[in-house]
Amino acid sequence: MAEAANVALRSDELARIRERLGREPSTVEVHAFDAQWSEHCSYKSSRHQLKRLPTTGTFVVLGPAEDSGILHLGEHNGERYGIVIAHESHNHPSQVVPFEGAATGIGGIVRDVLCMGAHVIAVADPLRFGRIDDPHAHQRYVAQGVVDGISAYGNAIGVPNIAGDVYFDERFDDNCLVNVVAMGVVKESEIIHSYAPAGADGWDLVLVGKATDPSGFGGASFSSLTLDAADEASNKGAVQVPDPFLKSVIMRASYRVFALLHEQRVTVGFKDLGAGGIMGCSAEITAAGGYGARIDLDAVNVAVDGMRPEVIAVGETQERLLWAVPPSVTPLLLRVYNEEFTLPEIAYNARAVKIGTVTADKHYVLTHQGKTVMDVDIEFLTGSIRDELPSSESPAHEATSERPLVTGVQLDELLDRVLAHGDVCSREPLYRRYDAVVRGCTVIPRGAADAGVLAPIPGSRLGVALAVAGNPRYSHIDVRRAAEHAVYEAVRKVVATGARPIGLTDCLNFGNPRKIDHYSEFVTAIDGLARAAEKFHTPFVSGNVSLYNESASGKAIPASPIVACVGAFNDIGTVVTMPFKAAGSVLYLIGKPQAALGGSVLLDVLGRGDEHLPRIDYETVCAQHDLLYEAAQARLLRSARAVGNGGLVVALCEMAFATMRKGQPYVGAQIDDSWQWTHGSVGDLEAYFGESGGFVVEVAADDIEAFEGIADDVPGVCEIGVTIDRPMLAIHDEAFDLHRLRHMWYAPLREVYP
Amino acid sequence: MSRRIAVLVFPGTNSEDETLRLLHDCGGDAHLVHWSRAKTLPSFDAYVLPGGFAYEDRIRAGAIAAHDTAMDHVIAGAQRGKLVFGICNGAQILLEAGLVPGTGPVRLPTAAFTRNGPVAHFVCTHVHVKLNIDPARCAITAALPRGTLIPAWTANGEGRLAADAARLQELQDGNHIAFVYAHPDGSVDDTASPNQSALGVAGLINHNGNILALMPHPERDAWTFNHPDKRRGDDMLATSGGAVLFRSFVEALART
Repeated sequence: MAEAANVALRSDELARIRERLGREPSTVEVHAFDAQWSEHCSYKSSRHQLKRLPTTGTFVVLGPAEDSGILHLGEHNGERYGIVIAHESHNHPSQVVPFEGAATGIGGIVRDVLCMGAHVIAVADPLRFGRIDDPHAHQRYVAQGVVDGISAYGNAIGVPNIAGDVYFDERFDDNCLVNVVAMGVVKESEIIHSYAPAGADGWDLVLVGKATDPSGFGGASFSSLTLDAADEASNKGAVQVPDPFLKSVIMRASYRVFALLHEQRVTVGFKDLGAGGIMGCSAEITAAGGYGARIDLDAVNVAVDGMRPEVIAVGETQERLLWAVPPSVTPLLLRVYNEEFTLPEIAYNARAVKIGTVTADKHYVLTHQGKTVMDVDIEFLTGSIRDELPSSESPAHEATSERPLVTGVQLDELLDRVLAHGDVCSREPLYRRYDAVVRGCTVIPRGAADAGVLAPIPGSRLGVALAVAGNPRYSHIDVRRAAEHAVYEAVRKVVATGARPIGLTDCLNFGNPRKIDHYSEFVTAIDGLARAAEKFHTPFVSGNVSLYNESASGKAIPASPIVACVGAFNDIGTVVTMPFKAAGSVLYLIGKPQAALGGSVLLDVLGRGDEHLPRIDYETVCAQHDLLYEAAQARLLRSARAVGNGGLVVALCEMAFATMRKGQPYVGAQIDDSWQWTHGSVGDLEAYFGESGGFVVEVAADDIEAFEGIADDVPGVCEIGVTIDRPMLAIHDEAFDLHRLRHMWYAPLREVYP
Repeated sequence: MSRRIAVLVFPGTNSEDETLRLLHDCGGDAHLVHWSRAKTLPSFDAYVLPGGFAYEDRIRAGAIAAHDTAMDHVIAGAQRGKLVFGICNGAQILLEAGLVPGTGPVRLPTAAFTRNGPVAHFVCTHVHVKLNIDPARCAITAALPRGTLIPAWTANGEGRLAADAARLQELQDGNHIAFVYAHPDGSVDDTASPNQSALGVAGLINHNGNILALMPHPERDAWTFNHPDKRRGDDMLATSGGAVLFRSFVEALART
């Protein structure tokens, strides 16, 4: 039956439903359970694993339980402000229809933040694409279409895109990753929860947004199956159609509703319609409050007549949200959305409309044309189902040699190749298509530091930083440590701007949980995430799991735990940016290079295989992060950059490249012989190209004493050179022309994103 | 009596909040007016059209909004000498409405901001614009020193001025070119424009100098925190950079 109805429910799950209902489920019920019990909605094979992540701490206002998590940012004028953050994937849709898939990814995550009562202030996109060297290959079409979709949607709704990363790897050829992070700001006293609050029996359920249409039918199940090229045509129907124009108006109308509700001091529920459509959202918002719901499908504003009830109920039409409000508030909603913001004139039959009622009886009931088409125990529908799946420790690969020392290769030749590498070269051709500065709150746009920074509250000095990380070159060597590095890198990027890291989100992109080696990677990655998050005191407050990322041939993607880190500033005056500021400053490396080139861009360029990943000595690293923070607070840092892909030499180049704009002074760098500052503990290649972490900082000559005073007892801080007043990177006896290097670095993606 | 500014919001407008905030911070008595309240527009003394994608930029950027009934009030006010300032999408709307450069009939544009060159994509990048007219030529720029250099962000897919050669000559002869793109040191050459805009044009005015259409966004580089590299001990919340143009606008309004 499941096969015939094109659903992903397994026969044992169907049997359970039959047994519980004591009858055959109706067609609507089959589709409802199919969506609600899909991996996408139920987290049935991941939820119990996710419980191992740390989710509490000083700054946690709301952990992972609702549509978004919330972190405490600070106080302004006696009000506590929270940063609302959510993280999601739109991998499968983006592989099939890149533009729409990526655009709906933004649309969905923005609603998750909006429905907490927040103003949406930023988005960020971690992207993983396949090979893009062939202009005619589908992979190139995906890489371009995704960026265009993000650009078209994010720019139109007026939310700045301030952070992100992108990697290119053939193992993503059949299954790209399009993750998206959205951030909002809310007064903590005005948070709206994703559930019907106490005393909500008899309240109205008011649907807001686009007219329900047949698009996105089966989306939740689609995301919970592997992609099969043969099914591409039918998969396309499961992808929703985005409407950023309508969303832009809905967001603004909702902000107006938030203000009016606050004036009236009413507590309500508000939730995004995502997987499972009207059914999924209305069941969850009421079940989470301990209620049932009764929905009249005939009341739903639809785009076409004659839609079957299961399509209206579980179809995933975009740009919709659901309110649970006292009946006395319903007229206010209808007036703001339908009259003041004229939704019916913005898109065909878009509107706010009452579709049902919150009930105390814990039944979930759908009616259609006067008939009951679904009536089930709401806790059975939404309660956590769990799949016990076998897993084993996913082992770290043995290093092929103890010391991967590379000899006989010239620095200049390597520098060119590393700078032009797909994981290092300039991202500007890509991110310049995203609006980084709409809303006027941007302090650091993408490209000017390792993290984006905003001043999100008008009139306040509070600031917030956002960075993402997750290196796919690391995971096949050692999944656990790769996951630790994802956390470390995201935290490091935030620290490099002078912010204090306060919390994390994750999107866990893995293969098929029913294959033991894929599932073991997932389980092992969580060990690594949990360990690093504990060590850095940065809990996870929200996240997403995306499984079944493999192609029809069964090839899983590289295990991809992708992490976003939120940082806080009490005073945005302490922000540190990446570009060198002036000649004559002293450059320090904080974090000594290790003899571990595993997963590095350098080894990829040299075609060398598995080596050890760099160790993370948390005690030392935390001391270094404290130093960065203290030095930024004391305003001793002219510039700073985290060492990452391509190592120290890439960090130095990018700090210099950022000064190279016509009409302003160029600043380069002169670096001492590496044996002077590593004391010969590692070779030149590890010193310049190693990716063991750390920072480069620029300190003005006048501030050296003060800086060294606070750096005194911090391990791994060494002076490595000075800044110079010409576009030159001088290392040893060699001097590299930064104009030429900048061209090498800028050209590769310019070709893909002209 | 205080002179009231309407910040006009069409469906799809997305830069109204920061535009309003900067007007307030520059001493303006400004208010958001949404499309459904357009009937109140005649009671305002000046109009600011902020950036965004009004009516989804269907047909061409600004084309539908220019024909919205809300624009009837703006056109009527502009013709009576009220100050009108359009930024980005607002500038596109003013050109589509024929108010700027105003060398033809209303709603029959004689120039347009159209698809960027060399590649027709949305581009977001930091720029500088330079005052290219006698400041007194335009009421909105009258308080600025000659040749003022203003930092701003360009963020659009259709910001390249296009018009035929005769029309471009007309713009030059009539001193309509209020702002051109410049390098950070104030120098101007062919490479200063991010989008191959004709004559390097970033902003245009009408004949009477009461209407300014500017493509880049000065309100996105208008507080010290928007350009953190230029500080040390600065008040990060103070207005700076692009705010000079808004202040000049508010001062011009006070004089009317």
